[in-house]
Amino acid sequence: MKYFDELKRSMEMLAEHPDTIFIGQAVEYAGTAMTNTLKDIPSNKLLEMPVCEDLQMGITNGLAVDGKIPVSIFPRWNFLLLGANQIINHLDKIPLISDYKTKVIIRTSIGSQRPLHPQDQHIGDYTEAFNSMCSTVDIVRLDQPEDIFPAYVQALNRQDNKSTILVEWGDYYNEK
Amino acid sequence: MNKEQLINFEEDIANTFNSGKIKAPVHLYSGNEQEMINIFKNIDSNDWVLCTWRSHYKCLLKGVPPDILKARIVEGKSISLNFPEYKIFSSAIVTGILPISVGIGLSIKLSGGKNWVYCFVGDMTSETGSFNECYKYVVNHDLPVKFIIEDNGKSVCTDTKKTWNTNELTYFNKNDKHIYFYQYETKWPHAGAGKRVQF
Repeated sequence: MKYFDELKRSMEMLAEHPDTIFIGQAVEYAGTAMTNTLKDIPSNKLLEMPVCEDLQMGITNGLAVDGKIPVSIFPRWNFLLLGANQIINHLDKIPLISDYKTKVIIRTSIGSQRPLHPQDQHIGDYTEAFNSMCSTVDIVRLDQPEDIFPAYVQALNRQDNKSTILVEWGDYYNEK
Repeated sequence: MNKEQLINFEEDIANTFNSGKIKAPVHLYSGNEQEMINIFKNIDSNDWVLCTWRSHYKCLLKGVPPDILKARIVEGKSISLNFPEYKIFSSAIVTGILPISVGIGLSIKLSGGKNWVYCFVGDMTSETGSFNECYKYVVNHDLPVKFIIEDNGKSVCTDTKKTWNTNELTYFNKNDKHIYFYQYETKWPHAGAGKRVQF
């Protein structure tokens, strides 16, 4: 299986769980490479958001506090930075400051550079930076196609009250 | 709980803090007891209450037993009191609870629930971009979320209106389905009880 196919298969696996909901920009509408991995997800599972990352990530946390399993999608690390408060100060700290059981799946990517290079504000890789800031949230970089499905199964089924950020490589959609 | 019981609880916490038995910041309420009692008359046990770092009255009025609440405060948890069994969620980060309250409200609506989310914020938070985004989302999607703005005229020690160079707050005296504004004067400093520790 190729990189894209594994991502699409993973999204469809997540969608089978009754508590999951996909939230983000370009989940209902076309607009990013990630959109195509969601094209066979039932529309009632997709929640298009305004471009407002702190709001999106806070809504994600609120959905999780009330028992949902949100799959929150940020097309690039650079965009995810705008939701960092809700990840570092809230999602990551909820297990430390409360007994709430929250499970969030965050999907982001290192922006592709080929064939078009989007320049320096769209290709950031903050995997290590977020690793160093998070105490409970796991950050998993998806380097190979065979890494993808098991990582999403783990993110969905984990029972350790932790959330997961899964990091894609935009270039691998065409190259692996 | 009645007004006298609320005041007595906070006085007890103040004395405990001033005696050095709480090794963490506390943020105390005063002067808004009757407002809070009136607000909580409309809050059901299955409704959610989202709080900032100043939350003792909310916890008591939502049903947390005073002895349990005091024990948690003495542990040093005053600024982030969380009680899932009472549907109380708190954050000590300014604006943090705003979009979380929206998410809980959205979850309730998606599930066909009937309960509401009551999100308490201060006057400075009510002037932020985050507040405006969240309020707009709640109104436009008709989510079961109500923001309670508690205006004590300051943010830590800063005059909110002066920083925004305005004579009137954006939501001053607004009262509708999704927002309620009230003012009060507190006798306590921003943090602590006026003695020993300046956080």
